[in-house]
Amino acid sequence: MTLRLVVGAPALACLIAPAAVAQQRSDTDLLEQGQQLYQEKCALCHKDSGAGDPPTFPALSGSDQLQDPVRVVRSIRRGRGRMPPFPGLTAEELSSLATYVRDQWANGSRGVTTEEVASALEGFDEASPMVSVWDGVFTEAQANRGKAVYEGACGTCHGYRLNGAPDDPDMRSTPPLARARFLRVWQGRSLATLFEFTRATMPEDNPESMTEQEYIDVIAYMLAVGEMPAGGDELQPDADSLAGVIILGERTEMEPSRLTGADEHP
Amino acid sequence: MPTKDNRPSNEPTIENKKPLNRRDFVKTGVAAGLGSGALLKSAEAQAQVPASGPQQTVWHYEADVVIAGGGCAGLTAAIRAVDLGASVLVVDQNFDLGGRMLHSAARMSLGGGDPVQQRDIRGESDREGFITVDPIEDPEELDDDVELLFTDLTDWSVVDPKGQAPYRYNERELARTWAENCPATRQFLIDNYVRFSRVAGTHGGGGLSRARLATCFLMLGDVTDIKAGTITAEDAGVADRERSSAFAPVRMNNASRMVGPNAVANGAALSRSLEFSAREKGVEFLLHRRFDEIVREQPVAGRVLGIKAHYSPRQHPETGELLESLWQDGNIDERRETVNIRARKAVILASGGHAGNPEVRSMFYPALRDPCFPTSGRALLGSGGQDGSALIAGLRIGANLAGMQQNLSYFTTFHISTRLGTRDAYTGMMPGHPTFGFRGSAGFNVGRSGFEEFIAVNQVGKRFFNEVRLPARPGPSAYPGDRGAPGRGLDHTPVDWRNCRKEWVREMYNYDHGVHAALALNEGSEPPDYFSGPIWAVFDQDAVDRNGWELRYPYVSDNGYFFQADTIEGLAEQIRAGNEFQRVPLRYLSETVATWNGYVESGADPEFEREVDAPMNRIGTAPFYALSIMVIWHDSYGGLRVNGRQQVVDMQGQVIPGLYAGGEAVGGFNKHGLGKGHVHGYIAGTHAVEEPSL
Repeated sequence: MTLRLVVGAPALACLIAPAAVAQQRSDTDLLEQGQQLYQEKCALCHKDSGAGDPPTFPALSGSDQLQDPVRVVRSIRRGRGRMPPFPGLTAEELSSLATYVRDQWANGSRGVTTEEVASALEGFDEASPMVSVWDGVFTEAQANRGKAVYEGACGTCHGYRLNGAPDDPDMRSTPPLARARFLRVWQGRSLATLFEFTRATMPEDNPESMTEQEYIDVIAYMLAVGEMPAGGDELQPDADSLAGVIILGERTEMEPSRLTGADEHP
Repeated sequence: MPTKDNRPSNEPTIENKKPLNRRDFVKTGVAAGLGSGALLKSAEAQAQVPASGPQQTVWHYEADVVIAGGGCAGLTAAIRAVDLGASVLVVDQNFDLGGRMLHSAARMSLGGGDPVQQRDIRGESDREGFITVDPIEDPEELDDDVELLFTDLTDWSVVDPKGQAPYRYNERELARTWAENCPATRQFLIDNYVRFSRVAGTHGGGGLSRARLATCFLMLGDVTDIKAGTITAEDAGVADRERSSAFAPVRMNNASRMVGPNAVANGAALSRSLEFSAREKGVEFLLHRRFDEIVREQPVAGRVLGIKAHYSPRQHPETGELLESLWQDGNIDERRETVNIRARKAVILASGGHAGNPEVRSMFYPALRDPCFPTSGRALLGSGGQDGSALIAGLRIGANLAGMQQNLSYFTTFHISTRLGTRDAYTGMMPGHPTFGFRGSAGFNVGRSGFEEFIAVNQVGKRFFNEVRLPARPGPSAYPGDRGAPGRGLDHTPVDWRNCRKEWVREMYNYDHGVHAALALNEGSEPPDYFSGPIWAVFDQDAVDRNGWELRYPYVSDNGYFFQADTIEGLAEQIRAGNEFQRVPLRYLSETVATWNGYVESGADPEFEREVDAPMNRIGTAPFYALSIMVIWHDSYGGLRVNGRQQVVDMQGQVIPGLYAGGEAVGGFNKHGLGKGHVHGYIAGTHAVEEPSL
């Protein structure tokens, strides 16, 4: 504390806003927006500290993968390996997020302008319209298949009510997979994030041991237990299509602007 | 429903119906005070033995090996001793066999390169071909040996998330022989109808270096047949989620991930298989009989001669009928008040721990002398379960104790259950098991996440802790790492000082002291015991609607652990009148709820900082509800001191001849549950048979 007081505000500003940061918005605004987006979209896996949880979730702090701004922007927008795509982000949001991760944790790289984002995304397909989990995105048959998988692979720890209460009382409670507490962690995220996160981390002692189809069927079951309606088409075990389905707490919460896809967002 | 009438079709036939020499009232012994320790022996085998006290000892039964307790240690010891040619009589206070093994999850960590680890390394199925899934663990995670297991179990450096070092205080000789006998015990269990799933991790007390846990299973089928390895859906409790069976007091778990489709697993698969084998091999049983005393040649000297046990009938809570065990072969119907049982070779104490005896518990934690908090399996075992009988009887004849502090170092020793609305809050037993009436309700498991939906109050109606953190428990030290040691799985280095480097301990420390706040003194704590009293979850109809909680039978019932009223005042009155341990009025409850609603309004809880962890919800919509929150004392760790042969040792460090003990009756070995008991039983059974015959 003493050190901070002595160094004072100008030095602090240097620390958090390198000189080369994008100029069209205030540096502070850009980093603030970037930080907020990072918390919402990225920190689940890469952690607040940027340390990630290697090897499952790579560290961003000190990562040489962040040196090329084009690669950063494309990775976020399109996904890379296990990382799901984030098609809902606008050019401005991508700019602030890329700026934030390149700046933080002493990574020290310069900011990324919206123009650079636009050129990085040149030739990309426009994002499909976004839907929410309330729009009938899975089928009843799929949820029933998921239930069978769930009971064998997940239910022992997450409980048959999906409330994180294991049947075996020697086991500690686990995160709930439906209803309010689940939604508190997951709302606003896409099913692609849920799908990839689940595959990468579950079952805890043997991640990725089930088929992709089994994982997505379990997710359909989780949505069904959360009283989200079934529809005519199954969820596909494909991150690109799942990235267009957003988890919302209630049917009414989806903003119209979000429903129409990123490119129409101002 | 399985009863004695639909036991497996291939019921064992006992070839030799007379392993016991049953002689009523054979008077033996000498007059009191005659021989100063003189061991009088007759030339004839059935003749006199000396008195153990002022009265002559009259032996009613005798066998080569007499075992107190028919749970995981006792049944294993019984089968082992019979295999080696001894006659065996098992005494158990309950109406049925299995002890708490029967309601366990049958997750058994052994290791040391045991046959199940070896099988999974080779990628093979089990010998019956039930296992159709690939091994869960990689071969290097299963590559185990006795030295590594021994090192793990005595590793001074492993600190758990509670900041304690569970293995540091283990008796080294016990850990050594335990590790050496793990592979043989696993094979022994397999040879006695126990089927083990794929190995998946390790649980508390299994050591950190390798994967050592396999679960016992049966396959769903048209008939329940231990020899064939099948069980009906009704017996497994999976046909109807709200119906248990006499076979399995707790619904069996889906084991498809660890075995394959149609596999079900829990303690019933383990316990019934061993029981079947024991009955088939001619072990005999005196049920409904509580072991009280050890008979020794002199009060604290000489050889152990036998035990005394009194009749402890367990009767159906509604009909009053004597409860009957699932299977009957080998049972001896004996209803005299007290019988004395002579052991020609040895007595093995396997009657469990002390978790159900508040007076013994108070040696470890005075606040838990409050009888309102039960041990696990209270309905299943009755009040005679986990009663500290081995410890008490052992002390009387001069035995020493060990590991008396180790109760404090395992996370389920005592903990707050997330199952509300029943006193017997450990298990999910449903109607259909003959002891359901003793609990009256199955309870409602809200999980840890459910605790944000209510306020928790003590016996005077005051909040005492952040509810969200109240049921949090630290993890055990478990493979793969589980944050109990630096690194995970194979990265763990045993006996490395870095495992307990203080910087690391600070980083991984994760213990909320909610259970201690629940047991704290409050305004209703009165001398001389200063009991903290019951604790209650209080919520309103909105909470029920938010969560879809099914507050109905069999989850809750009118049994003193669930209340409902139109006003908070009415709720407080009902609790006071309706719960047997509610000794004082909940005089602050209305004030507490009003204060809470003020906190909800302002978005902050200055007392316990709830807002940090979860949204807070107003309690305002009638009807209002109160469900009991239980502190459960589950494991016992402190107990009789034994050596590596499971022989009980006295205060001078000398073996007490003819006396063995295993499982939760012994102390000095922080090893959770079944793995400890089975290997102890195997060792004790082996050596008991080697004793010279009286």
